[in-house]
Amino acid sequence: MNKTRGVVLFARNNGRLDYVKQAVFLAKRIKEYLDLPTTVITDSFNYLQSNFDVSVFDKIIQVEYMETKNNRAFFDGSLSHKTAPFKNDMRDGVYNWSPYDETLLMDTDYIICNDLLLKCFDMQHDLMLFKESYDLADHRDHTEFEHISDYTIDFYWATVVFFRKTPENEVFFDLIRHIKQEWNHYRRLYQVESSLFRNDFAFSIAVHIMNGFAKGSFVAPLPGKHLYTTDRDVLQRLDKDSMIFLVEKKDHLGEYTMLKTEKQNVHVMNKFSLERIIDAEMKNV
Amino acid sequence: MDERLDKALKFSNYMVTLNNQKRVIKEKFFEDLLYFNSGCQFTVTKELITFVGLLIDRGNDTDVVLTDDNDIPAKIGDLKSFYADILNTYFTAANNYHTKYEDLRKNRSVEKLVNYE
Repeated sequence: MNKTRGVVLFARNNGRLDYVKQAVFLAKRIKEYLDLPTTVITDSFNYLQSNFDVSVFDKIIQVEYMETKNNRAFFDGSLSHKTAPFKNDMRDGVYNWSPYDETLLMDTDYIICNDLLLKCFDMQHDLMLFKESYDLADHRDHTEFEHISDYTIDFYWATVVFFRKTPENEVFFDLIRHIKQEWNHYRRLYQVESSLFRNDFAFSIAVHIMNGFAKGSFVAPLPGKHLYTTDRDVLQRLDKDSMIFLVEKKDHLGEYTMLKTEKQNVHVMNKFSLERIIDAEMKNV
Repeated sequence: MDERLDKALKFSNYMVTLNNQKRVIKEKFFEDLLYFNSGCQFTVTKELITFVGLLIDRGNDTDVVLTDDNDIPAKIGDLKSFYADILNTYFTAANNYHTKYEDLRKNRSVEKLVNYE
């Protein structure tokens, strides 16, 4: 029997950022580049239904709208930021919510420009994450994305996750839920300085535990590298599969260098600039 | 500002952009070198091409075990077909890289480097 395949996105708005809009935009790109169905898990169903074309989604899963005290600063380039709730605490539920046997879980700010992630479905690994990453601004210190703290374990990105429904992966996602619930304990145990709950950290800790508190092969790397720009950079233009960024200059606050990518998937952490691009594109449709 | 310094700073800005673009197209080249077979991922390197060529020359061209990027052993049924595929992957990637590199080399302004009108 053929296994079902698809992508799952979380879209929980926080009053500042429109994750629903980002999810609609990304679902269209997923259809175009990966030809996969997309399920969205959202707490803003009415807003989604009344403002967007819901046919881009294979399935819409409603979750309860909840406030969170997990606040963080979201930058829009190096000189501007807004503090907003960081509603990232439902990712562990994707194992049960996903309607697919084989799932790609993605952040809504991961911009798909090629079909490389399709290769996951042909590979023999049941769980894949990005470990190796590449900052489009070469000068920044990226050690925070190599280890979760100075003296502890390897860092894994939770931005894109491929998983099959296996008993081991069910244990893995249950473990992430446990780590989330006991976050203050685990962040101290793994010497994470910030009290802010981050899925990258929770996934990294869970991988470490599942590997027998060691490095190991429980998780395999996703194909390619995780390319990213931080929220100190600005997405300036998106034209089909090419993007132009303003990347912050070293030691020159508020100054930028232009950079272009072509046919490369990029994690665009400046969500404000991403939304400006999406707005412009929607106006042109 | 001193005209000499002004010109140097403009050139410096161009060089930063040029070097950034070179890094990005090199990363694209590395990504294009990925080849997938039997559920495994192989980065096509000159070493892999030479090794597979050597195996074929010595008559080992069926059911050959190779280890992939994650050190997973993969049994390759038809090594000649595998060889043709990795050669194709390598030259497609290298040709694209060369084309993009030459474009960068010819463009002498920041705007032209990123085709920003």
